[in-house]
Amino acid sequence: MKILIVDDFSTMRRIIKNLLRDLGFTNTVEADDGTTALPILQAGSIDFLVTDWNMPGMTGIELLRAVRADEKLKTIPVLMVTAEAKRDQIISAAQAGVNGYVVKPFTAVALKEKIEKIFERIDAAK
Amino acid sequence: MSNELGSGLVEFESLVKDGAVELQKHIEVGDFDGAIKIIQELSEARHNSFYNEVGFLTRSLHDAIRDFQVDSMDLVSGEGEATTKITDASDRLNYVIETTSAAANKTMDMVDGSVPVASELQIRAKELRKDWGRLIQRDLTPQEFRDLYKRIDVFLAYADESATTLHSNLNTILLEQGYQDLTGQVIARVNDLIRDVEEKLVHLVAVAGRVDSISGIEHQEKESDHDDTRGHGPAINKQNNPEVLNSQDEVDDLLSSLGF
Repeated sequence: MKILIVDDFSTMRRIIKNLLRDLGFTNTVEADDGTTALPILQAGSIDFLVTDWNMPGMTGIELLRAVRADEKLKTIPVLMVTAEAKRDQIISAAQAGVNGYVVKPFTAVALKEKIEKIFERIDAAK
Repeated sequence: MSNELGSGLVEFESLVKDGAVELQKHIEVGDFDGAIKIIQELSEARHNSFYNEVGFLTRSLHDAIRDFQVDSMDLVSGEGEATTKITDASDRLNYVIETTSAAANKTMDMVDGSVPVASELQIRAKELRKDWGRLIQRDLTPQEFRDLYKRIDVFLAYADESATTLHSNLNTILLEQGYQDLTGQVIARVNDLIRDVEEKLVHLVAVAGRVDSISGIEHQEKESDHDDTRGHGPAINKQNNPEVLNSQDEVDDLLSSLGF
């Protein structure tokens, strides 16, 4: 299981990386916005995408839409971890096909819960 | 200031009101000469008031622009490039970003250094405890007892050493929190500057607004609908904004109402 973490702040990437490691996901790669994330995704081998919303260049919602529009990438589960908490934004993320939405500041428990839920759903759909 | 600005107009308005009453009286009794005289008086008053107001506004606008220019010159050019208030403020905010980032990284370094120590302590303690239990049950062979004896000595030395490491890491984490004080002071100063600039701008806008109302200039309001796609950053004052959700629970509720 290879996870791509996209956030413009290196400290937040590190926090997420550490939490994921505690959950047993040790294989992670990082990108600092959608523009740098897309080539990594297109190169293949990414199984799960964790992304922030508010980033310079390409934002998280744009990245999500780009992933869903890409025939090769559209089934990758996407978890949004973001400080953006407007009702309309969450609705548009849902419409764009997000698999989970965690608002910052978040707890390790919340992150774990959402990731587990996403995998449960994927397993159930199989 | 705005009262002072409006005083000329208020005077003119009460003059018009009084004049209108007078005018009606004259018309009611059929005194059209008197009525026309009042209309002429009002027209004259309007001209005077208009010129007075324009003169007053010209001076106010001139003063406001001059004040702002003096301040903004100070803000953007200062004495020597490095000391301008705006560049200084932006340097200060960069300092906040750097300091908070350094503190966060240092803290995470300490946590990264401590987690394996705590795990190792736990693993060793668990192993020892198993054999210790057997000792209490008198279930150990003499050789095992001698081994345990040595292992406890090694463990105690390790526990001592680990506790020292953890203690020092925790102290470092504690000291790193000093960033809050440092950055707090910096942000407070930048806040003062912003308030100062805002005050001057409000003054300028107030004068400009009077100029618009006197001269009848209308500005088209720009649609300032912020695009959700670009993001808004963390919500401040969430409680007062019904559009912003306050917690993960509310987000989960919204998503589940959407069929998630």
